[in-house]
Amino acid sequence: MINLLRSEWIKLRTVTMNWVLAIIAVAFPLVVTLLTAFFSGDDAGFNTRDLASVLTGTAVVAALLCGVIAAASITSEFGFGTIRPTFAATPKRVKVIVAKGVVVVLATSVLAILVVLIGWLAGSNLSSSRGATIDLAEVPTAVPAMIGVVVLTALMSLAGYGFGLITRSTPVAVSILIVWPLIAEGLVGALLSVVTGNDNIGAWMPFQAGIRLVLVESIGDGGPSRIVSGGYFGVVALTLVALGSWAVNRRDA
Amino acid sequence: MISVGDLTKRFGPKVAVDHLDFEVRPGVVTGFLGPNGSGKSTTMRCMLGLDRPEAGETLFDGTPYHDLKRPLHEVGALLDAGYVHPGRSARNHLRWLAASNGIARSRIDEVLEMVGLTSVAGSRLRSYSLGMRQRLGLAGVLLGDPHTIILDEPANGLDPEGIRWIRDVLTHLARQGRTVLVSSHQLSEMALMAEDLVVIGQGRLIEQSTVASFVDRYADHWVRVQSPTAEALVGPLTAAGGEVTTVAANTLDIRGLDCVAVGEMAAQQQMVLHELSSQTGSLEDAFLKATAGAQEYTSTGLAAQ
Repeated sequence: MINLLRSEWIKLRTVTMNWVLAIIAVAFPLVVTLLTAFFSGDDAGFNTRDLASVLTGTAVVAALLCGVIAAASITSEFGFGTIRPTFAATPKRVKVIVAKGVVVVLATSVLAILVVLIGWLAGSNLSSSRGATIDLAEVPTAVPAMIGVVVLTALMSLAGYGFGLITRSTPVAVSILIVWPLIAEGLVGALLSVVTGNDNIGAWMPFQAGIRLVLVESIGDGGPSRIVSGGYFGVVALTLVALGSWAVNRRDA
Repeated sequence: MISVGDLTKRFGPKVAVDHLDFEVRPGVVTGFLGPNGSGKSTTMRCMLGLDRPEAGETLFDGTPYHDLKRPLHEVGALLDAGYVHPGRSARNHLRWLAASNGIARSRIDEVLEMVGLTSVAGSRLRSYSLGMRQRLGLAGVLLGDPHTIILDEPANGLDPEGIRWIRDVLTHLARQGRTVLVSSHQLSEMALMAEDLVVIGQGRLIEQSTVASFVDRYADHWVRVQSPTAEALVGPLTAAGGEVTTVAANTLDIRGLDCVAVGEMAAQQQMVLHELSSQTGSLEDAFLKATAGAQEYTSTGLAAQ
């Protein structure tokens, strides 16, 4: 398995597009957080909660981009045909799928850790220098939300990987990864709210549940807790990967 | 040794490989021939477990491919030189391949040197020609120093020097005792390179034999005579049951009689002969005759217009 992990790591880091997406994923929340800290740091109302909210909110975009990296890590193999030498080199396909999944989830989790660490350190220093009072102890939900960024990124990568395994097409997998959380869940959630009369049902949409991992504001809104929603999204993401693995193992390469 | 037994693969209602059985012995190059769409590439993919066959199995020295611990050390396969990521360099392509089977990095430089790509090993593969990709594919095949080699159309895109090079490489590898199975449409190349043949049509085995016996069985055989008085021989040859064709001035081709019979008749006529030789059709002729009726796609005489 160590050999396979090395092989998949070489594959992941020798594609320029992955680096471009990774740089954007790290830079976007960092830039937005720093700009917000710079322009709002001297406002009387700007505080720890605001800074943490900006950072974790923009990190959702980074998580989505990590999902795209994960999806493309497998769809590009089908697109360029490299899946055939890959499965010829390792005939037990599940081993390849597991190794690739582990590598991409670890790599994107490291990106998320960088986003949180750099974003918080740079943002809090800049805000402090602009006159704001930043103290993590003031907001007990801030640290769980920042840990949530890392977990959400890992799960979003798993979900993207699952879509990639199932569809074997980069455009289709990426489209689903963007349309499902940003459009489809909103529509379905609203429709179900009307039909069931339950306003909190939207919180049980898989990606919306995942995004609850990064909420800094109190999430005592009747929806699932941070751990429950994260676990729920995790089960959905793992189910997608399991379905994809089954399909890839069964189909012709 | 490769043993293919009862291999069957369907794509929907179409049977691409139909209960195929053949063996490939070590020490010689075995040509895998068949018309377009006859199932050669599908067979090779099934042999490696890339396509899931409905029935049958392939054994490599008695072991199914799926059970090989480090397959690149046992079987080197090149099914399509285009199976590369265009954004990677040749060296990085070989690095992930080598890493998957625990092959040392030093071996990458060795195989790059063998195939003549050392100077462009760092270039992205999108800049590679088809011929360069074929060489890279062969480097991947040689990476694990396998004793079984499977190549699908390895000479595609190669220039004459490249074609000769790959022929020399494959015959050299076979002489080392390796099992080499090669599909190709370049029958003249195959005639120079292969000792054994597996010929299929519409997914079914047509013939497995040596090249010599395949040509002997399917190709045309005739006797050629050149003589200043060749026309005088037409009557006696025809009377003896020969089918005589005048192919040029003073040159006859005779079918149905052998060299000995023709020579004796010429002696009886006290003729001066400039040539008396046995002629045999080419591998291409034999192939076309063997696969007649098993063609998936046939033209309607455009060449004759």
